[in-house]
Amino acid sequence: MVFLFNIFYQFGDSLAFLLLAAIGLAVIFGMMKIINLAHGEFITVGAYGTVVSGKVFNLPLPIAMAFGVVITIIFGLILEKLIIRYLYGRPLDSVVATWGISLIVSQSFLVIFGPSYEGLQTPMGNFQLGEFSYSEYRIFLIFIALIILFLLYYLFMKTSFGTLARATIENPSISSSMGVDVKNVYTITFAIGAGLAGVTGALYAPTMTIVPSIGQAFIVSAFITVVTAGASPFVGLVPAAAFLGTVQTSVTFFYKSTIGLIAILCAVILIIRYLPKGFSGLILKTRSK
Amino acid sequence: MKTEFKKNKLQFITFLILGALPLFIDSFYLDNISYFMCWTFISLGLAVIWGMGGILSFGQTAFFGLAGYGFSVISINFLGVAGVSLWSIVLALLLTGIFGVIVGYFLFYGGIYDVFIGIVTLAITLVLETFMQQTAGPEYVIGKARLNGFNGMQGMPTIGFEKVPYGLVEGVTQYYFILILSIIILISLYKFKNSKMGLIFLASKEDRERVSSLGHNVQKIQLIAFTIASILAGISGILYTNWGGYITPDSMGLVSAALPVVYVAASGKKDFFSVFIGCIFFVWLSQTLAINGKQFAIIVMGLILVISTRFFPDGIILMLKDKLIKKVKWLQF
Repeated sequence: MVFLFNIFYQFGDSLAFLLLAAIGLAVIFGMMKIINLAHGEFITVGAYGTVVSGKVFNLPLPIAMAFGVVITIIFGLILEKLIIRYLYGRPLDSVVATWGISLIVSQSFLVIFGPSYEGLQTPMGNFQLGEFSYSEYRIFLIFIALIILFLLYYLFMKTSFGTLARATIENPSISSSMGVDVKNVYTITFAIGAGLAGVTGALYAPTMTIVPSIGQAFIVSAFITVVTAGASPFVGLVPAAAFLGTVQTSVTFFYKSTIGLIAILCAVILIIRYLPKGFSGLILKTRSK
Repeated sequence: MKTEFKKNKLQFITFLILGALPLFIDSFYLDNISYFMCWTFISLGLAVIWGMGGILSFGQTAFFGLAGYGFSVISINFLGVAGVSLWSIVLALLLTGIFGVIVGYFLFYGGIYDVFIGIVTLAITLVLETFMQQTAGPEYVIGKARLNGFNGMQGMPTIGFEKVPYGLVEGVTQYYFILILSIIILISLYKFKNSKMGLIFLASKEDRERVSSLGHNVQKIQLIAFTIASILAGISGILYTNWGGYITPDSMGLVSAALPVVYVAASGKKDFFSVFIGCIFFVWLSQTLAINGKQFAIIVMGLILVISTRFFPDGIILMLKDKLIKKVKWLQF
């Protein structure tokens, strides 16, 4: 029983990490076909926003987290206005430009805040099961990840903004002639993606050592999850994260965590090769049959 | 020989100046320029696949690192055998080429395209980095060569430049070796660009399906170009390893992988000569800036990348070159 719970806990932890890492990237990629290589740095901004405001102004954790998210949204909006909006429709250039942004931001954090920053304490307590001790906060994160996913689904599928956004993605010029403010929709979608990255950074800030390269821990997981999920993120994200989580947990269980990372990277290479449209492509194909 | 190379005076003059350089500057600066030129090969390789064929690989550093490690392992194992440094280069490049063929086959015959090629190649270079980082233990040893994890490998023999006669010092021989190699490679790349295969490859960037419906085997040509690029990245890796006497897993990491993309994008990915000159310039720039700390250099490199993609999508160096040729009538024809 304890053994089973142990595996479930590891798996859930890895699932939550992959989902939260990927969610903001999935919105931007799925909706706008822009690969945002600066996604990891958005997460960094969210984490630093939370920790610095928590430390300097002595804010309680939830307010510090909200502050971190707001900072990330503002940051995302500025970048969109200055650079990203000129690169819609140039996918390769947008990758390259966001890579440049990622270099600038991560190294600037290194210059400003130094190689590491004193972190916050993990909230909530631990509970004991058999001889192992588990963090309640990490269980909480699993549920948060699923709730966020559900809210996003609701936003894009059930609200009028969601309809406008999907119409814009489907065909920008026709939507525009029907009176949709296309630029505005892009800006808001990008801001949502940035905000989600900020949420991830804020949620994980109390659990990690805060270093300027914190985004890199997320970016690789984020990419592989989004790529495995395929073009339609809401359909594919959960199965993709579950699949990769299984691979990672089982390999890490038998070997060590670096081998676990290598295993999922290899799994992704194979997925792209044999399922180029990812899990969502597979699901949509079987559904249409 | 009616190549672009001969028609263009600017390139002639540049190489004359580079060739005469050892007469005017001392060996310290010369060694530095050799180091800058080490990076031109990986950038030229990226210019071939990205500038000509529209294939953006983020993982050229995988080949760079593989060749560097391959060269180190082979040459350390056969230390003292006659001509070891020479044929260990050949073997390391062969290894890199084979790896390039495998990766390329996987990509192009697997129907992977656009941004996904970038993601897969990035994943490959990160796999290699992650693997190499955890090889610190004594169990990771190939023959006599320890892989050494984070610290990287050292103690490989240098390519036997010191044995070259004519009383040249090692630095000067290395400089000329790299310079001549780059001239040869530039000429061959121009030939490739103007060959039938090169033209098909150029056309495949515009419309892959149309070119293949005209009866050309696009995948084969993409594979060949990708292999050329991987071997060029390997040459850089070996020269870099030889220049500094070490190779670390860092050279395959996320930041290192970005640098060739910066050099090529900022120089002008469509013009080999601009990439060559631009690469030397930007490596020099980042080295100069790194005196105050590596992070400042990387911030500036990031800025250059963002500014050049946003405002000069054709590259800064290429634009300057075109302006110069337009201004100075004598340089035309």
